[in-house]
Amino acid sequence: MNAPLDTLYTAETPEGVALELRPAGLVARGYAFVIDAAIRYALLIAVSGMLSAMSRFGSGVFFILFFVTEWLYPVLFELLPGSATPGKRALNLRVVMDSGLPVTPAASLVRNLLRAADFLPAMYVFGGLMLLLRPDFKRIGDLAAGTLVVHTAAAGLHGPLADAEPLAPARPLSAREQAAVIAWAGRATRLTEARLGELALLAAPIVGMSATGEPAPNPERTTKQLLGVAQWLVGRR
Amino acid sequence: MTPLQFERDYGPVWDELEAALKGLAAGKRRWFKRQPKEPPAEPAAPPDAARLALLYRSACEHLALARARAYPAHLTARLAALTQRAHELIYRRSDYGAARFARLFLIDFPQAVRAHQGYVLVAGLGFGLPLVLLGIATWFDPGFILTMHDATTVRNYEQMYGPAAHSIGRERGADTDWMMFGFYIRNNIGIAFQCFASGIFLGLGSLFFLAYNGITAGSLAGYLTARGHGETFYSFVITHGAFELTAIVLAGAAGLRLGHALLAPGRRTRRAALELAAAESAVLVYGVVAMLLIAAGIEAFWSSARWVAPAVKFAVGGVCWLLVASYLVWQGRPRTKLEG
Repeated sequence: MNAPLDTLYTAETPEGVALELRPAGLVARGYAFVIDAAIRYALLIAVSGMLSAMSRFGSGVFFILFFVTEWLYPVLFELLPGSATPGKRALNLRVVMDSGLPVTPAASLVRNLLRAADFLPAMYVFGGLMLLLRPDFKRIGDLAAGTLVVHTAAAGLHGPLADAEPLAPARPLSAREQAAVIAWAGRATRLTEARLGELALLAAPIVGMSATGEPAPNPERTTKQLLGVAQWLVGRR
Repeated sequence: MTPLQFERDYGPVWDELEAALKGLAAGKRRWFKRQPKEPPAEPAAPPDAARLALLYRSACEHLALARARAYPAHLTARLAALTQRAHELIYRRSDYGAARFARLFLIDFPQAVRAHQGYVLVAGLGFGLPLVLLGIATWFDPGFILTMHDATTVRNYEQMYGPAAHSIGRERGADTDWMMFGFYIRNNIGIAFQCFASGIFLGLGSLFFLAYNGITAGSLAGYLTARGHGETFYSFVITHGAFELTAIVLAGAAGLRLGHALLAPGRRTRRAALELAAAESAVLVYGVVAMLLIAAGIEAFWSSARWVAPAVKFAVGGVCWLLVASYLVWQGRPRTKLEG
């Protein structure tokens, strides 16, 4: 297999199964950060209004709250089920360990304390540069803690195969050819009809037609027939 | 075997695993919410662990087969999602709770401090040397403090610790104690976190913040001593200092550990060394936070109290130093010593 073009991160389980994690990059995490910052400041402003009525005791509580939102807000949320701050939740991100397991308290604490390092020299420049440079989008805190920020929902590129009358291929197909036809059929729901037909024409010999077609290439018919071949390949007869 | 046949044959296994996972997750959520509003409608039988492991392992096998045979993507995607969820639930750590918490402070934290002796020593020197040197320097020449603090700050400090102030450290009303408690938590734990996090820059950040805080505190102490406010000042700092100064040094030591891992990773890759150092020094950080919470409480409610005679404060403070020292040195050692 060639090296993948995308940024999938594979973690191997003890059972030898490769989990595929999708690390989240600068843009998604930037949005999440902005949402979290908005929530934190809104909370502080709202509470400071209430606490100012309580004079000095209130300002004591305010200092504690300020400390908690400054340092511990992400840690608290990352340890809840779902392991993500509200901002990350809104963007369908979550924090996991490198192994794909939920983040541990120590790791969460480390990655969020080292925010101070990512923040330097100003405005998260180091953290941002790390995100841009690394294929697994880890900032300094993630590196030290051994954590990843991943997308929870995978974009569904493939659906179930489109329905068609099963049709035997015109010649035996190699395993790779079979996989290609099945993968093509799985994308039938997402591709436009024209593109689907265009791709199907490439495989016209499989359904017993020459690629140039007689009298003229017929994308609709080839599509239907190739979908049939796919059905035949997955075992419908 | 065709994909359809594969799905037909093993589908029930996947469905059963899915149901079992749902049951597990629901059980977990119920625990998290504490009180279920109504008794759970269908008492989802807690999935048998052995059965679950069996189901999980066969799902893993099926996923490997499906991938090797290039089965349709939606099929492998379903299996991948299923095994991932199972993996998460089966391998998640479940030893949280009071026992783990107690173990942290009874055993793990003091042990981690001893395991990091060298770093603690360096951090202690990095903090203590500037403290003592600047203390002596300002004691001999009080004017020297103006190189560190501006005149207004110095005047404020002098008022706070001078004999005229009716509570030490800050001017106080009754509920000011609470305000200062909050202030100390924010300020001191923030400093400690800074000492730790900046250690990742090869330890230089930790050394800088340790020295900086040492210089600030030392020059202040020397100045106030020279001005004759020594008794007030030392009776103020001695009790919470036992926790606060130790905690700052320990935070610095944890930061130095990070920096050292990057500088001299030994037989690991730099990244592996850093991950190990972070995991081990996180234990120190837990302890540091706890000690600073104690320090903030003492500083706000005890240290500043005027009604306690300085002699009492010195006695209590001395006991606290002994307690902290013996906790870090002796707590959490195995009962019987290993031979050799």
